[in-house]
Amino acid sequence: MGLSIHDLKKAFGGHTVLDGLSLEVGDGETVVVFGPSGTGKTLLLRLVAGAHEASGGRILVDGRDVTNENPEHRGVGMAFQNFALFPHMSAYDNIASGLSARTKDKAAIDARVQATARLLKIDHVLGHQPRELSNGQKQRTALARALVGEPKVLLLDDPLRNVDAKLRYEMRLELPNLLKRFGSASLYVTQDYREAMALGDRIAVLLDGRIAQLATPAEIYEAPATIAVARLFGDPTINLLDVEPHLNGAGLTVSIANTRVSLPGGYAAAAGRPAVLGLRPEDVVVDDRPQGAVAVPVEVVAVTPLNERAVVLMRTDDGRELFAAEPGEAISGRRHGPAFASFDPARALVFDRADGRRIAPTH
Amino acid sequence: MDHTSPAEKILRGALLTLVVLFFIFPIFWIFLMSFQTNETILRIPPSLAFEPTLSNYTALISGRLETQSGTLDIQFMRNLMNSVVLSASAVALALVLGVPAAYAFARFKFRLGENIAFTLLSFRFAPPLLVLLPLSLYFQEIGLADTYFGLVWVYQLIALPMILWIVRGYFEDVSPDIESAYRIAGHSWWRTFTRIAVPLAGPGIAAAGLLAFIFCWNNFVFALILASAAKQPVTVGSLAFVTASGIQYGQIAAAIVLSITPTLLLALYAQRWLVEGLSLGAVKG
Amino acid sequence: MAAITLDDRPARPRLSRRALPYLLSLPALLACIGILVPFFTAAWYSLERYNLAFPTTRGFVGFANYVDFLSDPAFWNTVTVSLTYTVATVGVELVLGLAIALLLREPTRFNNFVSIMLLLPLMTAPAIASLMWKLMTNPNFGILSYLAGLVGLDDFRWASSPHTAMFTVVLVDTWVYTPFIMILLVAGLRSLPRQPFEAAALDGVPASFVFFRITLPMLTPYIITAVLFRLLDSIQQFDIIYAMTQGGPGDRLMVFQVAAYLEFFQYTNVGRSAALLMILWAITYALSNVFVSQWLKLRERARGEG
Repeated sequence: MGLSIHDLKKAFGGHTVLDGLSLEVGDGETVVVFGPSGTGKTLLLRLVAGAHEASGGRILVDGRDVTNENPEHRGVGMAFQNFALFPHMSAYDNIASGLSARTKDKAAIDARVQATARLLKIDHVLGHQPRELSNGQKQRTALARALVGEPKVLLLDDPLRNVDAKLRYEMRLELPNLLKRFGSASLYVTQDYREAMALGDRIAVLLDGRIAQLATPAEIYEAPATIAVARLFGDPTINLLDVEPHLNGAGLTVSIANTRVSLPGGYAAAAGRPAVLGLRPEDVVVDDRPQGAVAVPVEVVAVTPLNERAVVLMRTDDGRELFAAEPGEAISGRRHGPAFASFDPARALVFDRADGRRIAPTH
Repeated sequence: MDHTSPAEKILRGALLTLVVLFFIFPIFWIFLMSFQTNETILRIPPSLAFEPTLSNYTALISGRLETQSGTLDIQFMRNLMNSVVLSASAVALALVLGVPAAYAFARFKFRLGENIAFTLLSFRFAPPLLVLLPLSLYFQEIGLADTYFGLVWVYQLIALPMILWIVRGYFEDVSPDIESAYRIAGHSWWRTFTRIAVPLAGPGIAAAGLLAFIFCWNNFVFALILASAAKQPVTVGSLAFVTASGIQYGQIAAAIVLSITPTLLLALYAQRWLVEGLSLGAVKG
Repeated sequence: MAAITLDDRPARPRLSRRALPYLLSLPALLACIGILVPFFTAAWYSLERYNLAFPTTRGFVGFANYVDFLSDPAFWNTVTVSLTYTVATVGVELVLGLAIALLLREPTRFNNFVSIMLLLPLMTAPAIASLMWKLMTNPNFGILSYLAGLVGLDDFRWASSPHTAMFTVVLVDTWVYTPFIMILLVAGLRSLPRQPFEAAALDGVPASFVFFRITLPMLTPYIITAVLFRLLDSIQQFDIIYAMTQGGPGDRLMVFQVAAYLEFFQYTNVGRSAALLMILWAITYALSNVFVSQWLKLRERARGEG
């Protein structure tokens, strides 16, 4: 098992930043650590690398307990957000530093460095100093340095953050292949949810020093564990409406403005407790006429393009705001004024308002 | 500030020229004197036109002075050598002791470090004699009085705080991520220190060393108290030189020129870092 | 391709990680001890009647040395002379240094050349600077004596006369140390933000207002730093005065450290010498505490902009 983290804790002074994290990453698997800034994602990587000492818990690399070991003995590779290249060494020497601690065999080192550089397409700039490299080349050099030792565990701290947008998409496509090729257990930190969903076999959502949810991207999107998690994924953010569920004959009903919404069966547990209804904007259809099972009368207040889509901001009769995301062509026809926001209740998510946890429908 | 009138510019230039004259004149005049014979020097009125002579310098360098009353042995070259040996050794030792300590202060936050830093800083401003006078008594007891070894240790009082304060700043400027990256790549702490931290802080270390050398060279009171004639550097030696009878004024001037030339040259070389060094890093140059 | 495996070096125990900073700063710690031991020794001596020439009379006398000073005119002379010297040198150097710094504010080629030239006196050993001025003020051949004669000041005795000795050493001190203040203030001036001055220029604000209400207040931290540095150095000045007159003529220039030196080496009175130095230390300690807090503040600011 590539990387195992058991109940990892880290406190500074009296202040606990990480409060008991547990995580397993298999060989060849990429787990993305995702969360807003300041939650401790980078700290987690540094703890695994050994740059910081843990306050509690254990870290195992390839089955070996490295919790008390210095960084140079842990056998991990790390690529930093700011590249952290050695400014006084050439790109070649930067990469070779990943091997020069273990062996003096110049030929072997050279072969590995060249091979890795070729893989990352920087073999033609190996002789350059870091200041002569573009950001994209610097990041590739940093990656090559991390990969050249074929580490069992690879730590990537938001490596694409400081790379310009065009290159970022290119590398986002290249990275998964690269990581699979080396077969390391990879921990990848990012603040971009799209990157997380694109690169991760699984995503660990880090909030308040704990892992709020550890699941595949699809599961996180479709079945977020809490309101906070749901909010982090999706653009525009998920619509969240405070509702009071009532038991009504066949099943549960909630009201949006004066429109009754019948929730599918299986939500009986939510009866009586204040709840929050979650509705993804792409599940909301805006039209002059009601479309589908539930249609809420709204006033269209604003329409903005977003990439290839259009975002429609609407207001319900009781003053609440709703977002819908529609295909871009629709924007030309959309007028402000009265309309209907329709959706399928089966696509809605129900959260407990008190603790934010999603209420899963029982079948 | 682009619209200063020509009158203002001329006034500025004139004032600055006067200022430069005031500050450079003594150096210039002594420099001239060093090439003059006693006869020329004593001539009134003094003039800028005279026949230069190298006899003062040859007397100093050869160590022998011909006067009316006979031949005198001059030990000035020995003083010069003492200055070089003492200052260079003191700085070398201060670098060996101070650079790792500066690294510790920069990278680690530890109580003892703050206390050491505070003590060294507050004693930078304490009267030197307060430490030197008791030290002179101690040295006599333990036999370190009038030794190069003892003097080099005492010179640490000047060199070490300077090295610590300046080099710490340069280590703080090296990104900790770079050091982490080298360690994660498999290298021990010591290799990271010597291959990454020290080279990257290099310019600062060199600057601190140069400044410490200048301050050690210019020191007067340490050697005055703790050294005998044989070990005295040029600062004390020049003074003793003056009071010895029968010395020619031109030679005193030449001795002064030889005493100040090394530090002036070094200062010109290291001028970029002088502001920082003089203010202990409070003001970046 | 040769296999490069992870080596199996034994892990160093966590203990050495913790000990590292202490190990590294051990030499600096030793230096501290090397300073503190003589310091406490001197403090102890100041509480003793201790004369090297009369070893049998040595004994603890509490604060007697200090009390004796209060009624000793020589002590008060030392205090007066030291204060006069300090106030005169720092005052003159501040005004002069500020004026020159203002002239050198813009980083032009000429100004930078001038700055470099002005560095040189500062880099001269103060004792040797005294020597240089001694030569220049020699009554027989000194150029300055000659020039003084030209303006009607015949027989101006410079450092040899009780009337003009203070003036002479203050002059030497000014020559050596004004560049220090100038360098600090130029650095300060050049680091000031441009906007307030540009705005003032646009609004047509008179230059004196700009200077007193904008420049000076913003320059205050640098001025304070420079002044504190100089106060601390001036009140304990030794090299310049000793090299010039060893405290004379008479006791006209008997500042603290020169007095303490002579007490120790001429009168072999260790107790009195130590007491004198402890008083001086108390003064500099109080002043340097003010400085350290200012310095830390300024350092933070410099690091923030760096």
